[in-house]
Amino acid sequence: MNRLLILIFLAFTFFSCKKKENPIPQVDNYLNLTVQPKFGSNNLFLDSIYTSPEGYKVKFTVLKFYITQLKNGSSTLTDATIFDFRENGLLAFRKIGDPTKFSALQGFIGVDGTLNHLDPSAFPNESPLNISNAGTMHWGWNTGYIFFSIEGKVDTIPDGNNSLDHSFSFHIGTDSYLSDFSFSNLSWQNPSANEFILPFKLDLLSFLQNPSQPIDLKTDFLTHSGAGQEALSEIVVQNFKQAFQPN
Amino acid sequence: MKLYIFLFIIATSLVSCKKDKNNFQATPYLLEIPSHFPDMLIPQDNPMTAEGVELGRFLFYEKRLSGDNTMNCATCHVPNGAFSDPNVYSTGIDGIEGTRHSMALVNLGWEDFFFWDGRASSLEKQILEPVPNPIEMHQSWKATAAKLNLDITYRNRFFRAFGEEGIDSIKVAKAIAQFVRTMISGESKFDVMYKYENSLALNTNEQTIFQSISNEEWAGYDLFKSLNGADCFHCHNGPLMRVKKFSNNGLVASAINDLGRASVTNNANDNYKFKVPTLRNIELSAPYMHDGRFANLDEVIEFYSSGIHMSPTIDPLIEFGSQGGVQLDASEKLLLKKFLLTLTDYNFINNPKFSDPN
Repeated sequence: MNRLLILIFLAFTFFSCKKKENPIPQVDNYLNLTVQPKFGSNNLFLDSIYTSPEGYKVKFTVLKFYITQLKNGSSTLTDATIFDFRENGLLAFRKIGDPTKFSALQGFIGVDGTLNHLDPSAFPNESPLNISNAGTMHWGWNTGYIFFSIEGKVDTIPDGNNSLDHSFSFHIGTDSYLSDFSFSNLSWQNPSANEFILPFKLDLLSFLQNPSQPIDLKTDFLTHSGAGQEALSEIVVQNFKQAFQPN
Repeated sequence: MKLYIFLFIIATSLVSCKKDKNNFQATPYLLEIPSHFPDMLIPQDNPMTAEGVELGRFLFYEKRLSGDNTMNCATCHVPNGAFSDPNVYSTGIDGIEGTRHSMALVNLGWEDFFFWDGRASSLEKQILEPVPNPIEMHQSWKATAAKLNLDITYRNRFFRAFGEEGIDSIKVAKAIAQFVRTMISGESKFDVMYKYENSLALNTNEQTIFQSISNEEWAGYDLFKSLNGADCFHCHNGPLMRVKKFSNNGLVASAINDLGRASVTNNANDNYKFKVPTLRNIELSAPYMHDGRFANLDEVIEFYSSGIHMSPTIDPLIEFGSQGGVQLDASEKLLLKKFLLTLTDYNFINNPKFSDPN
């Protein structure tokens, strides 16, 4: 009886110590969407001084925008992301995914109507739409998000000094100014194993000097998409859309 | 039989060799977050507990945190003053005045940076500063911990809060931070207005408050949000009534030329920028601005109406700065003030949970 118990004990010990087979490790691909702000052919830096098409000294202090419903057909890359150049640099978002599914992308610059008017406190904590993360990009006065925000200073006064004493701010929001985009033949860069980057650019020189509807910061310096600001708001939206392209 | 005895001894040895562990578990504290607020993110290394909050409350009002046992946190953060200081500058135990106005303590659990210049990146780090500061409570943390250690009641409270013996600056800061995170204000008239305009359901009490909101208060709110009115919403927005940023709002530089955020970043682009404060309980937190230069709300409104000073780092969102301000007329100023008074949350100010427990 004792021997039997010893055998059972040993057998149990033996099998419980059996080495587990290692499963084949799952390797995830990380998809990074980046946006390089530019001023013509040069990379743009916040707080640095550039020269506008009209010859004004200009600097940009805020550059933020939302992209929502970013997808290729039925494959969704992200519901919403925010690009905040000062806070996050070039990275618009990073997530696990399959780059082969996203050789084309459609989406909105701004927050589409299905999300724009929901309670901003009710989004998940990590969502860029949560009021804690949206910060200055949510408007109390029209209960919706600022789709994109470009702010800065410009010297439009020919007084001989270089003081950038004139502010400009373009705040675009409200459903009517939501704009869509669609890019095809996109090529994901693969700088290292499992890391994929899709680079975009936002050219603020192009934003200002769209030949058919230039923005002269001396006269076109302010919109909050409100009543009476429709003409400039429309130009700002169209010029932004033109300035945002695959890099 | 020998085998059974052998196995029994082995099993007993294994169990008896288990490391001694303190089984004390502090009680999780459930924060009462207003329904229209975002979640409060609690640091993983300082979870909210009932014992921690209670300890933090005692410490907040504990004068032994100061070198001569005369000052506590509430000395400069007076409950009736919306937990700020009614004096322009606070005076430390050695009679030395500070150079910035004491900030109101409200809804700090949602903040990411602290002090007017944002030099502290967490509530815990902020709390570590005033005790050893020679112009404030002027006592080393070592001396503070030693004083508290002499008190068996505190030793027990710290044990209950943290599950281990010992008192140090980190635990004091964590406990006070837990208490401060409970200081949530979300029951003002403004909250009802905010919920209404965002189509959020009002409970019975809020419906009653809603009925009491006057036309002048609504008109003042419209002015507050109007681009061509007072234009306040750019910086004072959302349920927390502020945005997370540093801003140069157009004040003339003070006599001491306080550079604000730039003193932390050493970046000239940040010159004269200060943390945007919440407007909650603004009626009670006078005097105003980082240096307490305005004694009352009328002076603040007048400043934004006609006293803006242009400078290279002025916030681009001070859109009427080049005209000196938003140019409100007398009736508009009155309406705006009426709205600002709706931000007073008497349930918060009078909440017995925030009062001196002694």
